[in-house]
Amino acid sequence: MAELLISPDQIYREVQKAVADALQISAEKVQPDMSLISDLAAESLDFIDINFRLEQRFGVAMPRKYLLDHVEELFGEGTAIDGGGRLTEVAVTIWNARLGSAGPRVHAGMPLDDVPTLVTPRTLVMIVEEILATCPDTCPNCGKAAWTVVEECTIGCGECRSRAPLVTGDDVIRRWLEDFRARGGPMSSAS
Amino acid sequence: MEACHGRVALVTGSSRGLGRVIARKLSEAGAHLVLNYRKTGGRSEAQAQALAKELVERGSPAVAIQADISQKDAVAAMFQEIGARYGRLDILVLNAARAPFKRVGELLKRDLLELVETNFLGNVYCMQQALPLMQGRPGHVVFISSLGSRFALPNYPLGSMKAAMESLVKHWAVELKDRQITVNGVTAGLLKTDSLIVLRQYWPGVERLPASAFVELEDVASVVLFLCTDAARSIRGQQIVVDNGLSNELLRSAPAS
Repeated sequence: MAELLISPDQIYREVQKAVADALQISAEKVQPDMSLISDLAAESLDFIDINFRLEQRFGVAMPRKYLLDHVEELFGEGTAIDGGGRLTEVAVTIWNARLGSAGPRVHAGMPLDDVPTLVTPRTLVMIVEEILATCPDTCPNCGKAAWTVVEECTIGCGECRSRAPLVTGDDVIRRWLEDFRARGGPMSSAS
Repeated sequence: MEACHGRVALVTGSSRGLGRVIARKLSEAGAHLVLNYRKTGGRSEAQAQALAKELVERGSPAVAIQADISQKDAVAAMFQEIGARYGRLDILVLNAARAPFKRVGELLKRDLLELVETNFLGNVYCMQQALPLMQGRPGHVVFISSLGSRFALPNYPLGSMKAAMESLVKHWAVELKDRQITVNGVTAGLLKTDSLIVLRQYWPGVERLPASAFVELEDVASVVLFLCTDAARSIRGQQIVVDNGLSNELLRSAPAS
């Protein structure tokens, strides 16, 4: 329910602003499917800056690591990235399952270094939406189902004012990966 | 006369952050600057080119050269360009760094390679290429380190590479003692620069630390400049901590939230 408190449009506007502010460009220059790296010249430090801005805005913890880093950590090195730094078939299967048909595409043999170029404002919106969706139905502090938006973009309890306990972005990814494996995903339990 | 008048200085990783401030400082002291950035097409290229233009317009020669220092061939190409352009190098500031922000236990093989290739090997490649260009003339090398070389900071495996490099500074100083080349390091404390953008993500609360916990970029750059002058020619193999006193106190009260 909580994700509906903040509309996808509003999330997009905030992402657009965070990207523009971090890169010191005007918000109109930022379009949903632009590559932050290829189209907007962002670099790795800029990603960290953008994430920080989104965290301040939405009260979320953005992922510190990419999906494929989590795959390697959870299921063993070599699962997603081969010795030459290229994506494996397993990586592609996991990627497609997670990002769906609308998401940016990868292929086996693609250099890992190219993956960050696939990050767009739209994929950032997706991450924020996903984290906001982890808001529980009721407030763990007072037991009321009274979530509301405080400070513009942060979800808090309308009754006791506590902040919504949201799952971190890294945990969202880890949980999804564990779940995907349980549903028959192509990862072994190497580690 | 300016302290570095006419000297050719390379500052690696000088498109932004501390490297940029050091480059500007050396330029103001009369040095001819070679700026360096890692990647073509990114923001750092634009920033490095803009700085070069600014320095030139102020009447101080400067050029920006792209080279990923972790690539030995790229380093060789950069120094070839420096050699062709100036025929020598007088000052080398090893400032470029790049690292994953993770717990040591989470580092994957490619994280470890990135750490070693950029922050250790990359600096060694630069030094190897710089020495022939410093042949027969006084030279100054300054390695930019951080307190992470001495303290285990959270999610900062880069500190281990800084420690390794601080050790190399001693080795180089000894091996070059018969040449007029000084090799020293500056260990910076907390900086309000791009690194803070990183730190506030990985050390929650760092932005609430009192101003006295931070050191000004200018102050670090001033010490780097001093080490690159004749006045510092007898300082060899030393690591100077410039942290506004942060590391003197073991116990600090936690910042109020």
